[in-house]
Amino acid sequence: MSSKGDINTQISLFLTQLKRRQISGAKEVALATANLLIRFISSRRWVSTTAMIEQIRILGAKLVDAQPYELTCGNVIKRVLKNIRTINEAFAPKGNKDTDLEEDLNPSSSMLGLLSVSDSMNTSGDGDSSNNSSMANLTKHKSNEAEPGLTPSGYYVSEEVRAKARDLRNAVIDEIQSLIDEIQNDDPLFKAGIDMITDSDLLLTPCPSSKTMVDFLLKAAAKRNFTVIVTESYPNNVEKAKKMVQQLKNAGVKSTLIPDAAVFAVMAKVSKVVISARAVLANGGCIASSGVAMACHAAKQFTKPVLSIAGSYKLSPIYPFDVESLIEVGNSSKVIDFSDAELMDKLEVINPLYDYISPELIDIVISSDGGASPNFVYRLILDNYSEHDQHLSSVEIGAA
Amino acid sequence: MIDIKETYLGFLERDNQLTKPVAAIQALLALLCELQPNTSAEMIDILQDAANTLKSSVSNSISLSAGCDLFLRFLTKNINASKDWDACRRNLVQNGNLFASRALDARSNIARIGLPFVRDHDTILVHGRSRAVIQLLQDAAMSNSVRFRVYITEARVCNEGVYMANILKKSGIPVCVVPDCSVGYVIDHTDKVFIGAEGVAESGGVINQIGSYQVAMLAKAANKPVYVFAESHKFVRMFPVSPSDLPGNEKLEFTSPVHPESIEMNLEAWPQVDFTPHQYITALVTDLGVLTPSGVSEELIKMWFD
Repeated sequence: MSSKGDINTQISLFLTQLKRRQISGAKEVALATANLLIRFISSRRWVSTTAMIEQIRILGAKLVDAQPYELTCGNVIKRVLKNIRTINEAFAPKGNKDTDLEEDLNPSSSMLGLLSVSDSMNTSGDGDSSNNSSMANLTKHKSNEAEPGLTPSGYYVSEEVRAKARDLRNAVIDEIQSLIDEIQNDDPLFKAGIDMITDSDLLLTPCPSSKTMVDFLLKAAAKRNFTVIVTESYPNNVEKAKKMVQQLKNAGVKSTLIPDAAVFAVMAKVSKVVISARAVLANGGCIASSGVAMACHAAKQFTKPVLSIAGSYKLSPIYPFDVESLIEVGNSSKVIDFSDAELMDKLEVINPLYDYISPELIDIVISSDGGASPNFVYRLILDNYSEHDQHLSSVEIGAA
Repeated sequence: MIDIKETYLGFLERDNQLTKPVAAIQALLALLCELQPNTSAEMIDILQDAANTLKSSVSNSISLSAGCDLFLRFLTKNINASKDWDACRRNLVQNGNLFASRALDARSNIARIGLPFVRDHDTILVHGRSRAVIQLLQDAAMSNSVRFRVYITEARVCNEGVYMANILKKSGIPVCVVPDCSVGYVIDHTDKVFIGAEGVAESGGVINQIGSYQVAMLAKAANKPVYVFAESHKFVRMFPVSPSDLPGNEKLEFTSPVHPESIEMNLEAWPQVDFTPHQYITALVTDLGVLTPSGVSEELIKMWFD
């Protein structure tokens, strides 16, 4: 077990790496975050889940602030927090849960909240967890008998509870470990995606920079016989586009590289557009590399289906209130080289790295759990994240 | 025996923060207190009758029927929860007063969840008077972190928009009241549209003050998002397809007056609500979180079929 000093060094190292983009890419950041969380949790003794959640939120806020555009970092932390909250419910004795935490943050007033019998009046029932955001709460019964001998203070100090805290730590680490396995294993995602592709499909992908996309197409090529059109994705991913086409060729897939301006021209012949999202947002919209939105609009014009591929760690509980804040702006010398000083002087050159694709433009979001309609994504988000963890820091993208 | 309609109207009058569904629940509870039924079947019968009376005697009964249905559902599910019949009835009655305060919580929860929808430099178009929207905008103005302006439609026939504009002006929010016919004129200068709801139908469509439909259509045409702010107790099990499917919306009459100057609108008979289908709604901001219109049916199914 590493000492406290050690973990602080590791955290600051990770923060620096995030800021300098030494760790970048959705998957790499997600894995690194999960590993850091394991070390963080195992480096300390935890008295209560409340404290654990509190500390992880503080850490999470730091990480998110260090690189706000890497949404998967926040996603992993929020997933872990949700897991801890779930474990907490399983661990805490009945009638003595850490519900104060939930209720302080969210005086839930779902349909149940409105009509349910109050805790003080209903002497035979425990404080049912009211954080479950559902109308169905209304009709839940509160029949569990409270354990009379346990006071909240007694709960925190007893030896028995210390043992429970150890169990809790192990349980949380197990959960993170299985999350890591899930992030690393793309097979369910690819399997769901391949089901959507048929023989003799003509696919267009505007995402040559995505490793997931390359892996997916190569995997699909083993099972299906299709053709791929790859856009150049100027100016940021031209080299990657060339490399992708080469890789596909080597795997025996017919592939063509086209300039971005030709997307509309070829769209009539395309049968499906496949995009790889950097993040899937709460409304079903996606963040993907720049140029993708244009391809999706063209697909809409020709009523071609748009498939969005994203591992479930890319599901983000953020709502795109302010689209511009989600788009990172990159190196403008890729558009006009700095050596062209005369022109550079006179112009304002911007190079946005991402596009926001609104949910209307996407037909299906394929995640590790299978395909979902964009207007169902909110449900996946509600299942995977707690409402209390939607934002870790007040300056986080999308926060109020 | 107390008159259920009078009781309901009394509750509404006493507390102008009370929503219709909650007032309906309160009225049914008051009836339950008074009658002291001896069997559960009797209780259900009495309340069912009262709910039906209430629904038929009040015009524009959609949102109150949501409250009645919800309460009856609650009763039928919980009637066997307590071993002791007296305790069960007592519990129900005792909790009556909590309902209103919890309903208000729902509204402040909406304001909390909806706060990020108001961004700096936004121009927001609001149609009709909605307490949820008022609270949200007041909270946003209080937070001092965003500056925004509000177009409010007059919302004829009841001129509720003017009423709402006055409330917002008092909170220091820059407001511009526009006639209903100029929504098309201002929509280009608008960033988003906020409306409240009388009721939310199963499809995720919204029953709201008349004019909401055309505002939402114009917003859709201009590619502006339409957000609906509604408490989840306003979800109703209805599936209207068009405004004419709403109960109580009479057919309008055609006349050909002999003297053109004698044309006058019968404002009393004018329908007060219309139905905005789900495809015009970007998202519903409820106390359960931000839902897409299809999320409403999921919540209703969870509630009624388990």
